[in-house]
Amino acid sequence: MPVYVDISRCIGCRSCEVACKRVHGGKGHVNVHMAGDHASVPIFCHHCEEATCTIACYTGALYKDAERTAFDVEKCTGCGLCQLACPFGVVWSDKIAHKCDLCAGRETPTCIISCPANALSTDFELASSRARARAAMAVARGR
Amino acid sequence: MPQVLVPTVCPYCGAGCQFFISVEKERATGIEYMPEHPASEGALCSKGNAALEILYHPDRLHHPLKRKGDGWARISWNEALELIARGLGGALKRFGPECVGFLSSSKCTNEENYLIEKMARCLGSRNIDNCARLCHSPSVVGLNRTLGAAGMTNPISDIANSKCIFIIGSNLAENHAILSRWIHRARDSGAVVIVADPRMTHTAWMADIFLQLKPGTDVALLCGMTHVIIKEGLVDSEYIGKWTRGYEGLVEAVKDYTPEKVSEITGILAGDIVRAARAYAISPASSILYSMGITQHSTGTDNVQAIANLALICGQLGRQGTGVMPLRGQNNVQGACDMGALAEFYPGYRRADDPKTAKLFSHAWGLDLPVGRGLTATEMIDAAARSEIRAMYIVGEDPANSDPSSSYTRDALEKLDFLVVQDIFMTATAQLADVVLPASAWAEKEGTYTSTERRVQWSCKAIEPPGEARSDLEIVCALANSLGLKFNYPDAASVLSEINQLVPQYGGILRERLNGPGLVWPCPNPDHPGTPILHTQGFKLQDGRAAIVPVRYRPAAEEASWEYPFILTTGRVAVHHNAGSMTRRSPSLIEREPELFVEINTQDAAKLRIADGDEVSITSPRGGTTARARLTDRVKKGVVFMPFHFPGTNMLTTEATDPEAKIPEFKVSACKISRGD
Repeated sequence: MPVYVDISRCIGCRSCEVACKRVHGGKGHVNVHMAGDHASVPIFCHHCEEATCTIACYTGALYKDAERTAFDVEKCTGCGLCQLACPFGVVWSDKIAHKCDLCAGRETPTCIISCPANALSTDFELASSRARARAAMAVARGR
Repeated sequence: MPQVLVPTVCPYCGAGCQFFISVEKERATGIEYMPEHPASEGALCSKGNAALEILYHPDRLHHPLKRKGDGWARISWNEALELIARGLGGALKRFGPECVGFLSSSKCTNEENYLIEKMARCLGSRNIDNCARLCHSPSVVGLNRTLGAAGMTNPISDIANSKCIFIIGSNLAENHAILSRWIHRARDSGAVVIVADPRMTHTAWMADIFLQLKPGTDVALLCGMTHVIIKEGLVDSEYIGKWTRGYEGLVEAVKDYTPEKVSEITGILAGDIVRAARAYAISPASSILYSMGITQHSTGTDNVQAIANLALICGQLGRQGTGVMPLRGQNNVQGACDMGALAEFYPGYRRADDPKTAKLFSHAWGLDLPVGRGLTATEMIDAAARSEIRAMYIVGEDPANSDPSSSYTRDALEKLDFLVVQDIFMTATAQLADVVLPASAWAEKEGTYTSTERRVQWSCKAIEPPGEARSDLEIVCALANSLGLKFNYPDAASVLSEINQLVPQYGGILRERLNGPGLVWPCPNPDHPGTPILHTQGFKLQDGRAAIVPVRYRPAAEEASWEYPFILTTGRVAVHHNAGSMTRRSPSLIEREPELFVEINTQDAAKLRIADGDEVSITSPRGGTTARARLTDRVKKGVVFMPFHFPGTNMLTTEATDPEAKIPEFKVSACKISRGD
């Protein structure tokens, strides 16, 4: 159940970045990238099914907990292998690793509530169903 | 540990988002969202999310200070009040009240604005204004004249019901971010989005039709669209006949604005002008959203009137999904205007030059008040430069950074005999003061704020102000009393009840009705539910009809020249706010946008041998600054963009103003650029 992004909605306001950082003691896990002159793309942890960070982690600090790629700070040595292993560059480490925990203990991840543009959700289908609705509307209007 | 959640209104833009501050052991420790809020649905932009960072900032002012040589000396409140009574009181006596200026704050509550404005006028001065002068004064003038009310006509959430959304001169994606969710929702149900801006902003990302016009040519574009709509017979004749006057004059005025001619002036393809005009006119419900890109021009009032004309001839007012929406940039700039912190209006937009107004308020306040409009914020600076204003009291504003042509403004403020600044930080303006008073941030006081959609919301006090800082309300009362007035208001609620009596629009906005999402004015009596949509039954003007006021295109005051070949346009970025005294002190915001930059078109940069990231110097006839170059195709050739959150930008901007609204033309200044080395 990772956070999915509807790129057509992202306005590059970086609310998710700041909100994430705020609730994680100043260590955020979201990066909004400006792609070219116009698009902005927030990069999130995918909570991969076969998460390379968990394979690289030799202490078991990173592990799969059902759909979530979870993190046990007690076991982390701060070696940084997870950072190297992540294909999306979203896991990072200073003295310990930092990655999205889907805001454990909260009903909904903070970034999703905070997003002013409704660009984020945990529903994989939402972005595509919205795109289909827009396409249908365009066809009906003939443009 | 007991944790209390205190509802407050966000201190940044005018969208009016609320959030809870969680308070533990009398400290603000975190933010909780408010999903039931009607405008934001719990969302917050980056600034809102970082709002608490400024509360405990080490730069907060903790004690009153007086100038001592080149430095500052800590003084007691009593000494501060005595000094001010002598300084301001002395200037009032020696030079007369017309030589004293008051700047109220659109960051302060309605109650505080009301009291500051009342104090100024009770002391006999007509010179009271607030920074709305620098953002939406053309809306106040233009919309009052055409529609009879200056405010967003429809609520923010109603944008979702729109079928065509025309955004002109507003980068709302960055500046009023929560509006995007309603625009996206409208798009999901088939709405067409038109964005007109000299810069391809994040807002343009939402556009179906993007019109990249030359800075300062908005009137031409709007007249061109009006021309197309009239020529193609897309006007709403029934609406025009029933609810407007002056249509014939408009037909005459726009007859020369053919798409081809407008294309030449604006640089937009003629076909795009026609497409936009048709989309706006034929949609069953179209709304227009605008902000500083429309108002901050020497033709600001014309721009606003051209927008009103477009809406009126298409009948796009007074229904769901329609409307004219000036988006307000500060949390209480709407309220500061409603409360009469304006040179030309008393509370409730009663004209200051109307003797009836002075009589009404003289009776209510129990002393004789001056008739006539006073000096505006920009005129006060000019008057200070000529030594006609001798003393000023500035609350929560930083004209030294936010006014155009900064060096001129600073010189003018330095010329004052006596300057009092009341703020939460030592701003550039406060640096020039004789006495600086430490005020409270939004979380440290209570009162109402009026959002851009005219929603009056109560913000609760979450924590105590730092050190000896006091709420602005307490300070103003103490100051008024030390100047010989009798201001006896124990709390914000007692001021609100006086406002209920004197401002008809706020008649029913009682303290006890304000728990939760608040009320939308006009709300004339205690049983009234508020008025989310204006103009449903005509207009508050002669015969209930709106006035169509024809306008003609005038070029901006300054054009590119041989010496200054670039047009500088200014604006905001997502993670900063206005003069930046708050956001530049907010770690998670400043790290995302740490320094002043200038966007230059890649082709222009190539000619000047400027690479991305180079330090460049930008010079205008008023002054110069340096900035980091950003090469981009977001701006067209010949145009450069700079955000105004850093001190350098307004060194460059022109002091040319709109003849009626007196707003400076921040959006068009000629400049030249060269590599720093």
